[in-house]
Amino acid sequence: MLPLLPQLFCAVAEKVLARLIAMDPQAKARLTRLSDKQLSFRLREWPTTLVMTVSGGTILFNQHDNPVDCAIQTDLASLRLLRDPSQLTRLIKADALQIDGDIQVAQQYSHFFQQLSPDWQQALSGYVGDAPAHKIARSLQQAHAYFSNKAEALSQMSTELVQDELKVSPAPAELAQFSDAVSQLSARVDKLQQQLNALQES
Amino acid sequence: MTDQNSNTTHFGYKTVAAEQKVSMVANVFHSVAAKYDLMNDLMSLGIHRLWKRFTIDCSGVRAGQQVLDLAGGTGDITALFSKRVGSTGKVVLADINASMLNVGRDKLRDLGLVNNIEYVQANAEALPFADNSFDIVSIGFGLRNVTDKDAALRSIFRVLKPGGRLLVLEFSKPEHDWLSKAYDLYSFKLLPAMGQLVANDKESYQYLAESIRMHPDQETLKGMMQTAGFAEVSYHNLTGGIVALHRGYKF
Repeated sequence: MLPLLPQLFCAVAEKVLARLIAMDPQAKARLTRLSDKQLSFRLREWPTTLVMTVSGGTILFNQHDNPVDCAIQTDLASLRLLRDPSQLTRLIKADALQIDGDIQVAQQYSHFFQQLSPDWQQALSGYVGDAPAHKIARSLQQAHAYFSNKAEALSQMSTELVQDELKVSPAPAELAQFSDAVSQLSARVDKLQQQLNALQES
Repeated sequence: MTDQNSNTTHFGYKTVAAEQKVSMVANVFHSVAAKYDLMNDLMSLGIHRLWKRFTIDCSGVRAGQQVLDLAGGTGDITALFSKRVGSTGKVVLADINASMLNVGRDKLRDLGLVNNIEYVQANAEALPFADNSFDIVSIGFGLRNVTDKDAALRSIFRVLKPGGRLLVLEFSKPEHDWLSKAYDLYSFKLLPAMGQLVANDKESYQYLAESIRMHPDQETLKGMMQTAGFAEVSYHNLTGGIVALHRGYKF
């Protein structure tokens, strides 16, 4: 049964994505530019090539190794970094990311997924009614704000604890001062080395 | 497979006259058409959807291609192909049985798939299409019921374009003994009972179980495809060989 896992994944992904696209009123129009374009994606840790194809206003998933418009290969560790465009060249240089084919296709796909914003509230209101849907969405937003606020406070507090109270980690200013001292020392060592070389040659 | 000397063939475990098999198979499918999808989901626990998806993955289908879904029945494979060939491609759903074709047409229309699908009632042994007209031909759980399988394979070879491929998704021989035993128990005890309960038709599902046993195993079918002219024939066992996907090319 395990060999059919990619097919199961494709089937589920296709269903879920079709629902998400249906929830976003603008998504279908944006997909027309990508029509019939294929993007394949492969993780080094999981040797299966997933292929996305845009057709008929939705994205289809397949698993095969046939030629596609653009092929991306990467590993799990670099997957997180892919969201940051400034990291891309570094990843390609470090051989952690391989892109073959039309890079514009990859960019258009990435752009589409970033812009995809399903209207949850609208979809939810179909089940529970407008007012409760609005209430639920509001509460979720508030909960999200509350938790991100708390997380920020916690990280601030732990920084202060480590730097100022327990003194196990240096403050940023101390660190900067230390790195300055190190570069000065390294410069002086370089200078000394050159003088030594000059002396040896003469 | 037809026995050339006495002109008889298998209908499940029974031996019948070759010309009788078509109408007997037709009766089976007229009888099960309405509950066909529900029974498929029940019998295979939904795994038949993944087998069909695997077939699509092996087909290498692209936008704009011409696809023939033979013995397409209720159109599961056609639906998958139709989305993938897009508006520039075409899928022909062919089945010998009018009841199955009607169920398939209704289902596909309900799914909103209307632009690129054509429906043809056709016998796989004598396909009513011009030579070299399809990029892909698939036959899912249908070859088993064809009276003269060699004639069907030759006919498919004729309508395929050079470079095109044939995909045969069909029940086959389990790879392990223990699986084979469990599978026998399941298909001869449980399956007819389920057929009786859901579709009120025990005989049809008895025939299904028997016809699977009479179908050529993986290597035999591979040989038959090679004899019909297909090149680079290979097969994948799915779910322990209960189902096998054969693939062959026309060059």
